[in-house]
Amino acid sequence: MAVIDRDAIKADLIRILTELREDWEFSGEVTEKTGIFGDLEFESIDAVALGSAIEDHYNQQLPFAEFLTKAGERQAKDIYVGDLVNFLHENVGKR
Amino acid sequence: MSKRAVIFGLDGATFTVLDHLIQHGALPTFQRVFGGGTRGILESSIPPLTPPAWTSLVTGRTPANHGIFNFLQYESKDSSFVRMVTSRAIRTETLWSMVNRHGVRACALNFVVHNPAPKIDGCCIPGWVPWRWVKTQSHPKGIIDTLRRTIPGFDVKEMAMNFSEEEKAISGTFHEDYEQWIDLHIRREKQWFSAWKHCLEHEPAGLYAIVFDGVDKLQHLCWPFLDPAYAPRQRDEKYERVRERCWDYFRLVDDFLRQTLEIVGPETHVFIASDHGFTGTHEILYINNWLEKQGYLTWAEGTPIEEDESHELGAVRPIQRRGFNFVHTRAYASFASCNGVFIPIRGERGREGVAPEDYRRVRDQLADDLLHKCAHPETREPLVTRVWTREQAFPGAEGNANAPDLTLELRDKGNVSVLRASTWYKPRQQIMGCHHPDGIFGAIGPGIRAGTQAERLRLIDIAPTVLYALGLPIPSDLEGRVATGVFSQEYRDANPVRSGEPTQPVNARDAGTGGEGDSGGEEDPQVLMRLKALGYIE
Ligand SMILES: [Zn+2]
Repeated sequence: MAVIDRDAIKADLIRILTELREDWEFSGEVTEKTGIFGDLEFESIDAVALGSAIEDHYNQQLPFAEFLTKAGERQAKDIYVGDLVNFLHENVGKR
Repeated sequence: MSKRAVIFGLDGATFTVLDHLIQHGALPTFQRVFGGGTRGILESSIPPLTPPAWTSLVTGRTPANHGIFNFLQYESKDSSFVRMVTSRAIRTETLWSMVNRHGVRACALNFVVHNPAPKIDGCCIPGWVPWRWVKTQSHPKGIIDTLRRTIPGFDVKEMAMNFSEEEKAISGTFHEDYEQWIDLHIRREKQWFSAWKHCLEHEPAGLYAIVFDGVDKLQHLCWPFLDPAYAPRQRDEKYERVRERCWDYFRLVDDFLRQTLEIVGPETHVFIASDHGFTGTHEILYINNWLEKQGYLTWAEGTPIEEDESHELGAVRPIQRRGFNFVHTRAYASFASCNGVFIPIRGERGREGVAPEDYRRVRDQLADDLLHKCAHPETREPLVTRVWTREQAFPGAEGNANAPDLTLELRDKGNVSVLRASTWYKPRQQIMGCHHPDGIFGAIGPGIRAGTQAERLRLIDIAPTVLYALGLPIPSDLEGRVATGVFSQEYRDANPVRSGEPTQPVNARDAGTGGEGDSGGEEDPQVLMRLKALGYIE
């Protein structure tokens, strides 16, 4: 699988998150600065579901647990869409 | 007319409760099916736990082959990262795909480990999914919108598993809120039933399957109100009220079954199945505290003693590996729901652990200690009644590496607690419901012998039996067998069992391989704290 362009990944992720929108309260624009817990009001279970949706989209298992660990280690207050895009850019297409 | 079959799934259903209600005339439809068809015990998986059990039922394979052992499991043998299982983790073909190969469509509603929904020919609304994701993780795209358009009052938020309500329920405040809890599940089941009814009436398919999981939820919290053995001698008004509300729930499910039979008609085979049974648990074994007492385990500095009420419910919240000091730990339990004990092996999930050459000896000794030294502090009666090694519990494939090293059965069938407590044993203040290996099976339809008691069946027998009822060949690698005994001789003569091609490999995608370079990692305290809530969903 070829490594995918960062902009394409960003577009994919924003589309996945935007598809949820009509079902819930958040109505702002999803950008790289959007926090999944703070802005999107995700519960932890939603973050897990996001991981499975992304894996399904790219048909690839991704090291989400490692990603979450690193976010925890640097005591991140939230996980931002931009962080996720970077993570995916590093890992999608890599086996 | 082409053949049709229905799987009417009831998570955690047991004859202990159903028969009691039948005797009181509360379940006329179940009574009619069991009387006019067949009934019997359906044996669960080891351990009797929802994700491996339903997955065994829908794949006809055992956990070592299908790869599902728990809600949460290690990413791989070498990884210390934990992930929640999703449909990608199922390594073998499902019943839906097996019937699709023969041109038969399938509808599957509320099955666990089905998110994101597999792209089957038919429809799939997965269960155990937070409400925000139900729409995008269902198949086909647009099915949820269709339900919204056509069903008045259809509400995904009410239908989906409500993880924060569940958290409240185990927070210890539920004691006065039984009725609210029951009502929540009544509302949820009504939503699922409305989707189910829509599928039966408008989605052409040969196989329809649904799971109602409120049975399990109610029984966990309300067991003393449901098992007549625990009914108090003096029944006060509150007891009567809660019991009545529980019965209302079961009456509702009975009516769902009645309507289902009415819609599908007598030419359809209808199978009732549970993933496991239920019983009452009256004591708590804090397994990690016991391991500590026996010298197998040392807590990491700062691991808190958790005296919250949630462990009263046999809480299945995972404890993190960082709770243990692995320099001095030879055995630990991190996922309570599976009653599994792990033995850290040096170099496998970190630098510390038992030397590989000592593994067998440590495991044999521990199994022996669990059976003989883990005894009630006063009566000295053993608390652990069975210990399975990984190879005994999950025989067959290489795929069992992710499973616990030892799996326990407790004398009251309860779940161990993995929390750090101030004691290693205590009686529960209140009887709770817990899983029992004996679940239920029922069947009615063409050729099903009337009023018979079926032989004991296993979960893996359901897939081949359903395929047989649909007149389809049985893939040669299914591990179960057709329950021929529930069909009349005449039917069997006219419809011989046909063996067919093996199941098709599932897109080899992940199959238990971990992420790269993760062997030294540990779970994250913060994010996993947030994920704690996931553990209780059993
Ligand atoms: Zn269950």
